Amino acid sequence: MKPLDRRTFLKLSLAAAGAAAPLGAKEKKDNHPLSPDYVGVLVDTTLCIGCRKCEEACNRRNNLPRTSEPFSDREALRTFRRPTESAFTVVNQFPGSPSPDQAVLPTTYAKVQCMHCLIPSCVSACIVGALTKAADGAVLYNPSICIGCRYCMVACPFEVLAYEYDTPLTPKVRKCQFCTDRAKGTGANPACAAACPTETLVFGNRADLLAIAHKRLEERPDRYVQHIYGENEVGGTGWLYLTGRPVTEIGLLNLPDRAPALRTEAIQHGIFKYGILPVAFYGTLAGIMRYNRRRESAAAEEDGPPPEVSSTGSKEKGR
Amino acid sequence: MNSADAPHRVTKPLFTFGTLTLLLLMGIGFSFGITRLFLGLGSVTNLDNHSPWGIWISFDVACGVALAAGGFTTAALVEIFGRKKYIALLRPAILTAFLGYLWVAIALSFDLGRYWNIWRPIFNWQGNSVLFEVGMCVTVYLMVLAIEMSPSILEGLKARIDDNEWGAAVLRKIEKPLMIAYALIKIALPIFIVAGVVLSFMHQSSLGTLMLISPTKMSPLWDTNLLPLLFLMSAIMVGFPMVILETIYANISFGRKAEMELLTPLARFVPWFLGAYGLLKLGDLAWRWNGLNLGADPGETIALLVEIMVGVIAPFLLLLNKAVRRSMGWLFFAVSLIIFGVVLNRINVFLVGYNPPYSLKAYFPSIGELAMTVAIVSSILFCYRLLVTYFPILPGYVAATPGRPAVPREERAKTVSPFWTWVIRFTAVGFLLTFIGLYVFVHERAVQSTVRSVEEVQRVKAAQPVHEAMASASYPQRPEAYKNFYRLDSDYLNSRSEDYEPVPFAHRIHDELSGGDCGVCHHRYAMSEDDRVGEDIKSLHASIEIQLGGPCAACHDDMASNPPQACGRCHAGPNESDDPARLGLKGAYHRQCIGCHERQLQPAPAPTECSSCHHPWTPDHAPLVILAERPAPQAVTRACLECHPKTGQDLLGTAHWNWKGQSPTLAGYENRTDVSLQLMVNNYCIAIGSNQYACATCHIGYGWLDSSFDFSDPAQIDCLVCHDTTGTYRKNPLKGGLPDPDLDLVPIARKVGRPSRQACGSCHFQSGGGPNAKHGDLEPILSDPPPDFDMHMGALGMRCQDCHATENHRIAGMSQTAPALEGRVRCEKCHGLTPHGVAGMLGRHLDDHVRTIACETCHIPTIARKTPTLLRRDYSTAGRDLPETKDQFGMPTYAKQFGTLAWGMNMVPAYLWSDGTRRATLIGDKINPARAVDLNSPMGEKRNPNARIFPFKVHAAVQPYDTKKRTLAIPRLFEDYWVDFDWAKAIASGMKAVGQEYSGEFGFTETRMYSSVHHEVVPARAALGCSDCHRAEAVNCVRCHRGAAGMDRPEHTRKIYPEVPQRLDFKALGYPDDPAITGGRFFLKLGRGTPPQ
Repeated sequence: MKPLDRRTFLKLSLAAAGAAAPLGAKEKKDNHPLSPDYVGVLVDTTLCIGCRKCEEACNRRNNLPRTSEPFSDREALRTFRRPTESAFTVVNQFPGSPSPDQAVLPTTYAKVQCMHCLIPSCVSACIVGALTKAADGAVLYNPSICIGCRYCMVACPFEVLAYEYDTPLTPKVRKCQFCTDRAKGTGANPACAAACPTETLVFGNRADLLAIAHKRLEERPDRYVQHIYGENEVGGTGWLYLTGRPVTEIGLLNLPDRAPALRTEAIQHGIFKYGILPVAFYGTLAGIMRYNRRRESAAAEEDGPPPEVSSTGSKEKGR
Repeated sequence: MNSADAPHRVTKPLFTFGTLTLLLLMGIGFSFGITRLFLGLGSVTNLDNHSPWGIWISFDVACGVALAAGGFTTAALVEIFGRKKYIALLRPAILTAFLGYLWVAIALSFDLGRYWNIWRPIFNWQGNSVLFEVGMCVTVYLMVLAIEMSPSILEGLKARIDDNEWGAAVLRKIEKPLMIAYALIKIALPIFIVAGVVLSFMHQSSLGTLMLISPTKMSPLWDTNLLPLLFLMSAIMVGFPMVILETIYANISFGRKAEMELLTPLARFVPWFLGAYGLLKLGDLAWRWNGLNLGADPGETIALLVEIMVGVIAPFLLLLNKAVRRSMGWLFFAVSLIIFGVVLNRINVFLVGYNPPYSLKAYFPSIGELAMTVAIVSSILFCYRLLVTYFPILPGYVAATPGRPAVPREERAKTVSPFWTWVIRFTAVGFLLTFIGLYVFVHERAVQSTVRSVEEVQRVKAAQPVHEAMASASYPQRPEAYKNFYRLDSDYLNSRSEDYEPVPFAHRIHDELSGGDCGVCHHRYAMSEDDRVGEDIKSLHASIEIQLGGPCAACHDDMASNPPQACGRCHAGPNESDDPARLGLKGAYHRQCIGCHERQLQPAPAPTECSSCHHPWTPDHAPLVILAERPAPQAVTRACLECHPKTGQDLLGTAHWNWKGQSPTLAGYENRTDVSLQLMVNNYCIAIGSNQYACATCHIGYGWLDSSFDFSDPAQIDCLVCHDTTGTYRKNPLKGGLPDPDLDLVPIARKVGRPSRQACGSCHFQSGGGPNAKHGDLEPILSDPPPDFDMHMGALGMRCQDCHATENHRIAGMSQTAPALEGRVRCEKCHGLTPHGVAGMLGRHLDDHVRTIACETCHIPTIARKTPTLLRRDYSTAGRDLPETKDQFGMPTYAKQFGTLAWGMNMVPAYLWSDGTRRATLIGDKINPARAVDLNSPMGEKRNPNARIFPFKVHAAVQPYDTKKRTLAIPRLFEDYWVDFDWAKAIASGMKAVGQEYSGEFGFTETRMYSSVHHEVVPARAALGCSDCHRAEAVNCVRCHRGAAGMDRPEHTRKIYPEVPQRLDFKALGYPDDPAITGGRFFLKLGRGTPPQ
């Protein structure tokens, strides 16, 4: 084996430097300015009675297909469900009381839907920008430019995106749109929050909701786990949960506080910021090519036309 | 260009066994692809919402791009780093890369959901997206590859022109522009070659960045920030091996000796890349060792180990060996391992290591996905074969000239040694099978599906302490303004939701359950007119050291004018500006109600379902009911069942349908479920069995004419008789329940709704053969009574089902005459056991009666107030043609069918002990004709603590019986006695109809039948006063309360109904005398107020 010569060394180190750039890149949050106007919903799972009125209201507001059983049918709660292309939100039941001070109750209920993250992974992932974060905080989907690559579904840490796999020509990604009206934005009235009879769901400005949630935690330490789920998870979400038991017991995931999108964006922008590295690499390669061509033509001038390659060909030809 | 080593077109025939096999595989695979285009991804793939990327992305795209790396690596080697010796390998490498990327794009167009939007990323840029960069790079690179391919293409076209082959004439016309293009491209080519390398570096690494966006779903074995670098290095590492593999394979299949003189030195580069990659990979794993969790998923660990050992370490060691590099077979094997390793790596990163936590079923590719993948690979091979045939790509054929065919560079003496051919074939197949086997093993749970399900909710029967108030009654003063019943009907809520009818709220029972503590619900007090928040009353009183726990009126005298404030006083809209956290009215009601109801298990579980408190408005059925013109009644029911199939099934099990059911209160038949109305004898039309089609007019079915009626067919259910809201539905009399044939059922079906009192009453007000004939307290006027006629149905507008609670069409309520029972209706459910508190000081005494006197006794003083009720009929006098005479009520006193008749109106009911159970005389029971036979009678007596005095309406009759057998005779009245008026014949045919033996001899006996009285409740001020039953001197307050002189309450103690001299016959009820004098049933010996002397 030939020892490492200068050229090879240079090549390797350049490659290493270029590829190591992402390691040192800082995460930039200025791709994702956070607005104080973001809306959200506070879900207090200790109050949910599992009536599924939120599912029914969502179904009606979004003109989703009629279900085979009415929403008052509690049989549906017996299986663990996830949002699908015809159900943007579902309620699941879990055995055990919702909080320590409600020990007589046998069941806890928890609603699942798009969390409308502050730094949405799906928005960062979308190749054409079909998913966007609106000014009021809703994460919206625009099917007209979507190509159906489903990278957003890979990206979502909550796994709430659903796809219309059975539509051949115009399948869409389906998820909660926060009842956004094109003119008015989310307005004041997401269907689920309006329908909830016990006001388990409280819609409002996210900062206000955090204040309310902290107040509840302070006033009832015997009732709640001292944590607002969604305050910081994956960079913060629009939908906030108060629970009386660990979130993993009611079908939610333990997620880190760092928004995953920041990681890939740091790597991408670290490598490709202003195109410096690619252009520099291009220049380097072009330089090497030029150098080798000059050397070749110089050798050709010296040696004459290159010898014909013999038909047998020898095994170990020089470089 | 014509030197022996220059690229030449292959002259072997295109269609061989191998290429035909490829075409076959392409056909099979693309047929799945076309199915995808017509029916959607779901029809062909196993993708779901948790695994959106399958092998079409992880293999076709990710591996496809990785394995096409031979293009840029060879281009860099030859053109940038000037190793011209390898130039013969360049064109095939570029071709492989070009075809690889082309077919990746084609494969992608099947995987993309909206493939027709594939051009969008060119105009819609989303710079944060890794996939955007990958997509744009690949698109540009594909164009670069096309340009790099174009010299071969153009040379091939030129050769076609020169050799005058098929199509030369057409091509000659554009020869000039083609050659100009050729020259331009040749000049510009270096730009594109460098661009190609840069672009490849960019997207090969970014493919690795792709999966880093979901770190929570990635296995730590592959989740590292170095993944882009690892992908880049593995792509570089697999470039030359792909060239080696493809070169050997092409040469073998064309029967040529492989160019080992090029491949062997090329192979010397490979260990460097392998080593660098291996070091980086192992170093990264070592750096992250603690977070790897190697034992967690053995399948993944094995996959990683195979990827490293088989894919990196083994070939590294092999290729260090000169002999391996020189041997075609071993070299082929070694590079195959590397390629296998890279493929496995991509699949590990995209599939094996991708573990979405909510996935119900682990992803495994479907047949369609596998077939398409095979088709894509076959397409690449076929196109390769196609292009090398028509374009000069492969080196070293001596070109054909006219007169001499093309000669391969070095012809082998015989065809390729079959041994090596088969080794290569077997190795390929073997790798494929190993790969599949490994993948299946790695994801053994791929072949099982796990569906999580939640356990059935078990209700905890916790022992809750009985509230103190129930144990020791306290009788606080309550203001007159205090109402027993509210209808929660708020404009605010109505403006926001149209889903439900207003909620009837029984205030009294809730007051009792809270122990009279108003503050449980009325928890705040707004101090001033515009105070929307109020003060918490507990803290209000705590500040003056008063502990709450009872009614406000206990201390406050002015509660009448200043009652506890209504909920809507503070709770209007949610999150209002003065207190953003405050509940809205809807939330307040629901949390308060449901919150308390969930916790209450004693004395009985409280309702927590939505519909147990308020009923949804019935939607307009006009657009929902689709019927032909003049439909048959069963067609109407079938239309109902389209949307309400479960209701049909529910009804088939109810007592209203089967006319039988559980009879836990029928003495002797407590455990039976089959005691039907057919078995009962009554003294109106005697029995049902012999008059089936007539009595079944009031059946909720269509046409129960005889025993052939199909009780299991839900289409025979008559939905309209109860749910008609037009008031026009009529049954056809004597037709077993069929409707009036002249009725058009369509408009009735279109206006169905909640049953009204008229709907229930269409049968129940007519029982006994005419309006109010039987019950006495169920008169037609109750469809729309004046307010004071009946408090519930008149003043409060309640429907039957508000008290007769219904679940799944099982209707609560016990009739004295029908055996089946589907739930009890009790006054205490709403009014509680201490309902008289509102009467002030008298309340205590009135509540004492609750144990002994039924509510109905005092609160229903008279029955049949509008329509006379039948009191007596004498069948023994029937059959004669006597003139019709009428009594003072205008009712006939004689009818030929029935005999003499007696009616009553505004009458006082009979009073009997009843403990809720009854005795009945069924068909075939032996009777004693010497005394009046009680066809049904309430059971109960003074000594029975469960018995109370209830009002009853008694119907006495004289009806036939079998004198020999001493059983009641069942005559056939309709179409028999009432035609011929021949008792003997009618009884004979009737007994036969009910399957009873008949001796042939009949006589007449007295019978009695009791109907319980529960309806026509009068307002409280019209209820019985104390003196209506007790002697006036006994109910004087001063008699016990010595110091209460002048505190008499004549409005309660006087006789409210002076026209009834003695209402209760105490002696008949078992008392020695008026219990107010002689003492109560068990304990109260009055005169307690008189201290013993």
